[in-house]
Amino acid sequence: MANSNLPRRIIKETQRLLSEPAPGISASPSEDNMRYFNVMILGPTQSPYEGGVFKLELFLPEEYPMAAPKVRFLTKIYHPNIDKLGRICLDILKDKWSPALQIRTVLLSIQALLSAPNPDDPLSENIAKHWKTNEAEAVETAKEWTRLYASGA
Amino acid sequence: MGISWSNRRRNNHHHHHYIAAPPPPPPLPPYHEPILYPTTNPPPQAFHPPPPLHSHNPYSAPPPPPPPPPVNYYNYQSHHGYSSCNYGNPMMGRFNYQYQYQQPPYYNNQAHGWPSTARAAPVGPPPPYVDHQSAKKVRNDVNVHKDTLRIEVDEQNPDLVLVSFVFDAMFDGSITILYFGKEEPDCRFVPLFPEASMPVRIPFTKGLGQKFRQPSGTGIDLGFFMLDDLSKPSPGEDVFPLVISAETCLPSPSIEEHDEHLGDPVSNTSSHMQITQAVLEKNNADLFQVKVIKQILWVEGVRYELREIYGIASSAAEGFDDSDPGKECVICMTEPKDTAVLPCRHMCMCSECAKALRLQSNKCPICRQPIQELIEIKLNSGDQ
Repeated sequence: MANSNLPRRIIKETQRLLSEPAPGISASPSEDNMRYFNVMILGPTQSPYEGGVFKLELFLPEEYPMAAPKVRFLTKIYHPNIDKLGRICLDILKDKWSPALQIRTVLLSIQALLSAPNPDDPLSENIAKHWKTNEAEAVETAKEWTRLYASGA
Repeated sequence: MGISWSNRRRNNHHHHHYIAAPPPPPPLPPYHEPILYPTTNPPPQAFHPPPPLHSHNPYSAPPPPPPPPPVNYYNYQSHHGYSSCNYGNPMMGRFNYQYQYQQPPYYNNQAHGWPSTARAAPVGPPPPYVDHQSAKKVRNDVNVHKDTLRIEVDEQNPDLVLVSFVFDAMFDGSITILYFGKEEPDCRFVPLFPEASMPVRIPFTKGLGQKFRQPSGTGIDLGFFMLDDLSKPSPGEDVFPLVISAETCLPSPSIEEHDEHLGDPVSNTSSHMQITQAVLEKNNADLFQVKVIKQILWVEGVRYELREIYGIASSAAEGFDDSDPGKECVICMTEPKDTAVLPCRHMCMCSECAKALRLQSNKCPICRQPIQELIEIKLNSGDQ
């Protein structure tokens, strides 16, 4: 089983995530795979995602921490850097990964991405275009999606 | 001429082939250890300034700013924060960890150096192990606490200003204060404007944490100089508005004489000097403030530039507590960190993880700058 040989780092990170969770973020490992985390991120205040509860999955590959965790939104979200499959366009998950980063810092970065959508580096072309041509309307759509899909109910 | 201090030069002992056997350090945590860069003399080019460590933005959103990346610094900075608080140091509130000078005295006088052969940055896939070396310790017999350096008005001569600071000295020696001191070969400093200001040399006796204040009447009227000239080094960084040279006389007999330098009040014939180079800026209250740009060590004919290692303070605290994130390697989060990355000076890994990292990356985990060298620093292993 993968859990039998879990690196100390992952155990420590997990313990710290559970004992000192970051504000607005929760992450708990799956019972049958300690490398798989169920994540919840609260939509940041003053963002179109405020009031929303967003579910994500996070997986630590075998090479972690030399390779980045794999993270994906499970909750539908209207965001120029997140596509309809929930994949996230975030540099630290790709070429800017550093082994000094952790689960906690990755999730904080994703939370920050919700506060600062970046339509200039889009993953969803349509949403990005919407954002750039009519930001007010795009924000309204994002708020509506938050109500529809991320109400936490 | 007419500076009586210069005569004391003749009484100094000069040692070129001797270095005092350093006493073993107590097992106490240093709050920072200087790192030494052996350099040519005079320095052709200033080193790059250290990357800012005080970014408070904990997030990185795409695209990130050029290095240093905020996420990493968030991480790193908080580590320092934890460990700093754990020291219970009464001075903690006053000084940033990087500039802590209330460290145990022996450690304060130690530094790490390595051979002066510069290596080029590796190109292509990083070669394993090749530039992983252990730190060499160079004992610093005299240390001016650079954060204590002040310019004060001489009450008895209100036109003149005096220099004050706190310093440690393992042996007796002397302090030389020099305005617009120009660095010459072999770490000698001469006044650029001898007609305006001659070097002032003041002897001291050994002792730690000593307060130095230039004697009244020996000061200088800074009104002679342009504010603009006082506030920066010369373009080639060989002349600094304020140069303080602290040198020690080693306590062993020496018959060596260096007649060619005796007439020069700031010549270097001592085997051990620490030079502090600073600029002077006026603050809002119209008072001069000292800003130290560089410190140089001259030991046994080798010139070193002092640099701080980021993260060394937290790793150096006594003992290794498994639950303290400030001391652990950022990669395995298990072993104490003992390896610093050069040239960025981030001490962040254990040696095993550093070796493993070099097999797949040439970037510092903290700032992503290319790794040129890894240096293992055993803090509590004592002196050679």
